[in-house]
Amino acid sequence: MASSHATPGARFVDPNVLTRVGNLELLARHVVEGFINGLHRAPFFGASIDFAEHRGYVAGDDIRRVDWRLYARTDRFYVKQYEADTNTNLSILLDISRSMKFASRGIPKLEYGCYVGACLAYLAQRQRDRVGMITFDNDIVTHIPPSAKHFNIVLRTMENAKAERPGNLTVPLKKMAEHFKRRGLIVLISDFYEEPDAILEAIKPLKFLGNDLIVFHVLDPAEIDFGYDDASSFEDLETGEQIPVVPASLATEYREMLQAHIAALTTKFSEHRIDYTVLNTSEPLDRALFSYLSSRERLMRVR
Amino acid sequence: MAFLTPFFLAGLGAIAIPVLIHLIQREKKRVIEFPSLMFVRRIPYQSVRRRRIRHWALLLMRAAAIALIVAAFARPFVQQSAVAAVVGGGAREIVILLDRSASMGYGDHWARAQDAARAVVRSLGAEDRATLVLFDKNAEENMRATSDRTRLEGAITAAKVGSGATRFGPAMKLAESILARSPIKRRSAVLISDFQRSGWTGSEEVRFPEGMTVSTVSVASPNTANLSVPSVAFARASFSGQERLTVTAGLSNKGDQALKDVPVTLTIDGHEIQTEHVTVAAHASGSVSFTQFTLASPNVRGSVRAGTDPMPADNTFHFVLAPSEPVSLIIVDSGDRSASSLFLQKALSIGTTPLFRVDVTSAGRLTPAAFDKRAVVILNDTMFPPAGGGGALKAFLQRGGGLLVVAGDHATWPQSEADLLPGRLGATVDRTSGRSGSLGFLDYSHPVFEVFKAPRSGDFSAAHVFRYRALQTSPADRVLARFDDGAIAAAERTIGGGRSIVWTSTLDDTWTDIGVKPVFLPLVHQLIRHLAHYEPPTSWLTVGQVLDLTARAKGRGDRADRIVVTPSGERIPQSSAGEGNEGLIELSEQGIYEVRSTGAVGRPEAIAVNIDPAESDLTAIDPGELVASVTGHAMPSGAQAVQTQDMTREESEKRQGLWWYLLMAGLLLLAAETVISNQLSRKDTFL
Repeated sequence: MASSHATPGARFVDPNVLTRVGNLELLARHVVEGFINGLHRAPFFGASIDFAEHRGYVAGDDIRRVDWRLYARTDRFYVKQYEADTNTNLSILLDISRSMKFASRGIPKLEYGCYVGACLAYLAQRQRDRVGMITFDNDIVTHIPPSAKHFNIVLRTMENAKAERPGNLTVPLKKMAEHFKRRGLIVLISDFYEEPDAILEAIKPLKFLGNDLIVFHVLDPAEIDFGYDDASSFEDLETGEQIPVVPASLATEYREMLQAHIAALTTKFSEHRIDYTVLNTSEPLDRALFSYLSSRERLMRVR
Repeated sequence: MAFLTPFFLAGLGAIAIPVLIHLIQREKKRVIEFPSLMFVRRIPYQSVRRRRIRHWALLLMRAAAIALIVAAFARPFVQQSAVAAVVGGGAREIVILLDRSASMGYGDHWARAQDAARAVVRSLGAEDRATLVLFDKNAEENMRATSDRTRLEGAITAAKVGSGATRFGPAMKLAESILARSPIKRRSAVLISDFQRSGWTGSEEVRFPEGMTVSTVSVASPNTANLSVPSVAFARASFSGQERLTVTAGLSNKGDQALKDVPVTLTIDGHEIQTEHVTVAAHASGSVSFTQFTLASPNVRGSVRAGTDPMPADNTFHFVLAPSEPVSLIIVDSGDRSASSLFLQKALSIGTTPLFRVDVTSAGRLTPAAFDKRAVVILNDTMFPPAGGGGALKAFLQRGGGLLVVAGDHATWPQSEADLLPGRLGATVDRTSGRSGSLGFLDYSHPVFEVFKAPRSGDFSAAHVFRYRALQTSPADRVLARFDDGAIAAAERTIGGGRSIVWTSTLDDTWTDIGVKPVFLPLVHQLIRHLAHYEPPTSWLTVGQVLDLTARAKGRGDRADRIVVTPSGERIPQSSAGEGNEGLIELSEQGIYEVRSTGAVGRPEAIAVNIDPAESDLTAIDPGELVASVTGHAMPSGAQAVQTQDMTREESEKRQGLWWYLLMAGLLLLAAETVISNQLSRKDTFL
């Protein structure tokens, strides 16, 4: 499949998905620092069409910025200031621990995560944002710094990603936090098989620089429904431990616990202004992304 | 609990099938990979275990169902205890056969046997009846059928060990007859014994009909140690006109341990004469000989006592000694040949049992007084002695004397005395030409030839007979032997208390060479013993034998009344009339019996009685073997048999019908299991 594309990993940029989400924009909710004009608000005033405020004229200001209408009313010179738009860094943090290779039917969670990351990277790249990527399991596996030219490398990295080792969020995320020198957009894709408090503690450092954090919780339908019939030995992909399980007696409790887990994550992430979305790999990616991006856009307008 | 068809229990192996299926299914279980069992791990493990335990319960249900069905096919039944039987089946007739033979005196056998008998009595229901039979060689109905437990227990307590030998046959026959008479349908016998092998030969024709059962209680000990003195032998020798006697006692060790330095003591007339110490190996025999002593008077009482063990009865052997009495006989020959009686004299000079006191005379010199105090007269190829005429010889025979007529060439017999000779002598038959004659027929049923009955016990055909006298017997005479041509060789006639035998050839080397053949000596001895009514002296009798006092008194001409004192001191008066059973004493005790004649002087007659040597062998048979041969089917033995089995196994099983309940329970269990497993399988196929 990969061979049918010129660029390895290009398959993750699915045209079907893009036709649906292509007209949406992935905008940073917070101000981000960029080098060029873009879609995101910069922390500085600059050239844009969004008026920010007036300030008194000082020597050296361009007289073309003097608001003459205000001079006519107040007989004082004021200069109009506009918010600066900028581009930003999009860092995709992809969990490639062993649990991500699970697939009850359809595609594995890792592949689904790659689709999500690739689409978002494509959107970012299209709006001239810099794209980088970090894959991790219980440590950082690959680190591609954000760059306008790294889109293809990101795709190739996704193509080569193998879920082989058990995962852990704390260690790699702590290391990652040290890499982010500039505020940007961080997309974290994982299945979050850790305690909500531990997850939040691991993620917090990413927020310290004021990064806009988007979290995608990728789950397989089997993980959500626990729709097994036969009593079997279940093997934990992360630890290799086997436990004899009678699904019929566990399913209800399991579903309740999973929903409680998701609810806890939702609460805690929203408390810290982190976008949190649960993705079911059985759902079409376009629908999931469209739903997320459109709601994000809508919330941006409200704000 | 027992099973009528226990081989069906092999089907219990089918229980393994659900277990195997369970294991096979477990082997086939899938391993499902799951991203994380974080949540599963949090769910209490008990919920999973509980489910598994419920599955084990299902498995147990299946196994139990199979077991119940298999058990139903094996047709179980409960061996009812006596009390339960009373509740469930009505009155019973029980015969308690209590062995009181001498061997029961071993250790605590008798006490245990009494306890077992009491246990049977206590298990009797209100309507049950029991009969107590004490047996050894004979069986005695000690307590007739009664429901009175107190009397029965009293009879058991009062019973004592006897000295008799063990014989199961009479006891079983008596039990069978008692049970057969009973109107009660549920009948059984309880045999309490040490089950000596010697008590059951297997040829006893005892058969309990269907419906009568036999249960057994064995009190036999597994490892018995028993030393016994089974016999005593006496070697007599003459010294200075007195008879000297050497006692040799045989010892038999039936135990597993060798016995070392066992003291063996010879007691004569109450005085300990000598004590020897011997060693007897395990399961072996030994002997000890004591120093010679002079035997002067009759009725000398002696005993040999050897060691001590749990069965003291057979450690002592009693005997009564008397100086031997030789058989006095006179040989009458023609006197014209010096060696005509040589062969007879030589033959009769050999032997100690009995000793023969032989006098030889010629017919012409014989006087009527010569017949006095003679046991046998031999007319050795001679004419009829004149002294025998006139009824003298006839009187001798009438008194019980014996006459042997050797009919050679010189033998003559007057017509007037023809009734004293078995047959009429005829002419001489000459067999010198051609093939000589030989003895072709012998009446082995006759006491004279009985000892030759066994194969290779005397070759009479080796003797050549060249001449003999023809003899014509009457039907009253008994032909003892014939020659090969059918002519009579010997014939006998009974005259009064005496016996007359004619030998139609000679007993020397003139007409036959039988005198130099090996059979000559025993033949002559047998002829004289028979004619003299010789009975070897018995130094002891065995318990169970019957003593005929009347016959013994007649032999001595004693007509006085007698009193028999048993070893235990019981006095049994006996009149001289000897009517009915009078004069017959059954010897039931071990020891010395005394027979005292009223008015007699001197020592009373003593009779030593010992227990049967077979009682010393405590080897036991399997009680089941005995029961099987009596009832036709084996029954369990042992202590549990005290709980008498009053019904046959088939009857018990049929009556209880447990199989039906077991089968129904098994099927219900299977149905329940099917329902439960179906319900479970909807949720969980992991069964």
